Amino acid sequence: MTAVIAPPQIETTYLGWAKRRLFASPGDTVLTLIFGGAMIWFFQFLLDWAVVNATWAEGGKELCREVSGACWSVIGARGRLIFFGLYPYEEHWRSTFACLLIIATMVLSCVPWFWSMKRLPVLWLSGFGAFVVLMYGGIFGLKVVTTEQWGGLSLTVFIFCAVVVIGMPLAIGLALARRSKLPVVRLVAGSIIDLFRSLPLLTILFTAAVVVPLTVPDWAQGNKLGRVVVAFALFFACYQAEIIRAGMQAIPDGQEEAAAALGMKYGSRIFDILLPQAFRNSLPSTINQFVITFKETSIVTIIGFFEIMASANAAVGTGEWTAQYIEVYFFVGFVYFLFVFGLSRYGAYLERRARLSNVR
Amino acid sequence: MSDKAIQLIDVNKYYGQFHALKNINLEVAEGERVVICGQSGSGKSTTIRCINRLERHNDGKIIVEGIELTDDIDALDEVRREVGMVFQRFNLFPHLTVLENCALPQIRARGTSRVNAEKMGLRQLDRMKIADQACKFADELSGGQQQRVAIARALCMEPRIMLFDEPTSALDPEMIGEVLECMVNLAEDGMTMICVTHEMGFARSVADRVVFMAAGRIIEQAPPTAFFENPQAEETQVFLKQIINH
Ligand SMILES: Nc1ncnc2c1ncn2[C@@H]1O[C@H](COP(=O)(O)OP(=O)(O)OP(=O)(O)O)[C@@H](O)[C@H]1O
Ligand SMILES: [Mg+2]
Repeated sequence: MTAVIAPPQIETTYLGWAKRRLFASPGDTVLTLIFGGAMIWFFQFLLDWAVVNATWAEGGKELCREVSGACWSVIGARGRLIFFGLYPYEEHWRSTFACLLIIATMVLSCVPWFWSMKRLPVLWLSGFGAFVVLMYGGIFGLKVVTTEQWGGLSLTVFIFCAVVVIGMPLAIGLALARRSKLPVVRLVAGSIIDLFRSLPLLTILFTAAVVVPLTVPDWAQGNKLGRVVVAFALFFACYQAEIIRAGMQAIPDGQEEAAAALGMKYGSRIFDILLPQAFRNSLPSTINQFVITFKETSIVTIIGFFEIMASANAAVGTGEWTAQYIEVYFFVGFVYFLFVFGLSRYGAYLERRARLSNVR
Repeated sequence: MSDKAIQLIDVNKYYGQFHALKNINLEVAEGERVVICGQSGSGKSTTIRCINRLERHNDGKIIVEGIELTDDIDALDEVRREVGMVFQRFNLFPHLTVLENCALPQIRARGTSRVNAEKMGLRQLDRMKIADQACKFADELSGGQQQRVAIARALCMEPRIMLFDEPTSALDPEMIGEVLECMVNLAEDGMTMICVTHEMGFARSVADRVVFMAAGRIIEQAPPTAFFENPQAEETQVFLKQIINH
């Protein structure tokens, strides 16, 4: 039996691609037409609503009655509330700069030069530190703005960054403790991880915000935002620790043995040899965890923080703009989307890069 | 200073209940080349891994360059400074380039400056005839090239003793030669070597002594001519027949 199999024909034109992927059979054609039609209808509708029939004109809500599409005027009128929450009006520039600073830090950490176990933490600590100084003030002649007044996008960004900046070292510590040679250390780390992963985030945050003040002496309480962020960071760390551990398990024993045989000490074996490889192995799950965490920051609304979701609610809740809730939520959704989409595109790029260097 | 590079005195090693090394006594002089052979599972790897304490022995004494191996961390550091090791599976660090593989351990373990570490790296890579690949990553190299890099990396630490654990067993046949050649050169430079290998040609031409192990014991040791022409123990004879038939 010598059947000659023709090499698969690979069409390189768009037309060829469409023929092969969309119209290969009558069934395919029908599905393509139905879904294609639905998509065209949907995007047409969206475009009409958001752009063609919409208005950006400044003015009160009266203006909105006259347009059939989106009335973006609400963003102009309430944008500051959405972005800054209760942050004092004349200090809004600080909140803006703080957010831009964090975005710059995020962009910088995409530059491969920063990808070392020393540079990345330094970059993030200084970026985040500057963010906090700008937001809180109290030095350089900046007026103090207490955390109760923080709000809007900068609070969302603060919670996310603080959770990652505190949670990541914790995660590394927990992951290392869980593979320690000492049974006690292993057991404690394992218990913490399993406990926090088996509780809902909301329960943990509630405990930190409401229960802790009732049970812990005053001097140990810190402020509410601090407690909530630390609790959130613990929650994040427990998931991330398992991700890192999985990444470490994929590394052959020979790596650590070779490093030991070369006389490298424990710390160097971990930070120069194991962790960089573990992070590379677990890149997709790590990015995924970041995305989830960014979206989960909206939960803190429930315990009385004024992050971007809460300030969006407030923006439409005062009566005047009640009818424009769709525009406001759409806008806030778009802000989330920008962050999350950026994160996941960046993750995909990293992965491609790591894969390339694997087969190179 | 004694002229003994390594002494194993009545060494015993258990993996749980399993008695892996049974009363091992072995002495290696400075500059001596020793080949260890034996069936799979006879304890060859375990023996040399005890010498730089990748495995802890349970009983007996191991003295390397006059330093006894105990739980003392400083002693261990000192021993690992004197002992380089080459593994069957190369174990190059895949996230680093060839040159960084050579430089980083020097920087971390000894505080060498980066410039000097890279200089040393290039020198040893050159010695292993692979300096032209310095900027590549490990997975861009053939097995033979990777193993030569691994040898260069170990040599960068300027060890007085080199341990080889089946350095050519994971290689395609056509690459074995280039690695053996590098090892022969090393031997000619007077390096103290212990080499676990089934390359009997290498044993014949380079070794001062061949040690035969079976079931966790040293059964027989002799200079290569005597060992191959006139093996004493029955196990050795059986083993040599097997090897020659293959
Ligand atoms: N980490 C370990 N845990 C339990 N048993 C082990 C371990 N390492 C080795 N052994 C056992 O100890 C014995 C000796 O192993 P060793 O690796 O020293 O053999 P070897 O002579 O190097 O064999 P090979 O030629 O297959 O490499 C074997 O029976 C092996 O199963
Ligand atoms: Mg072995």
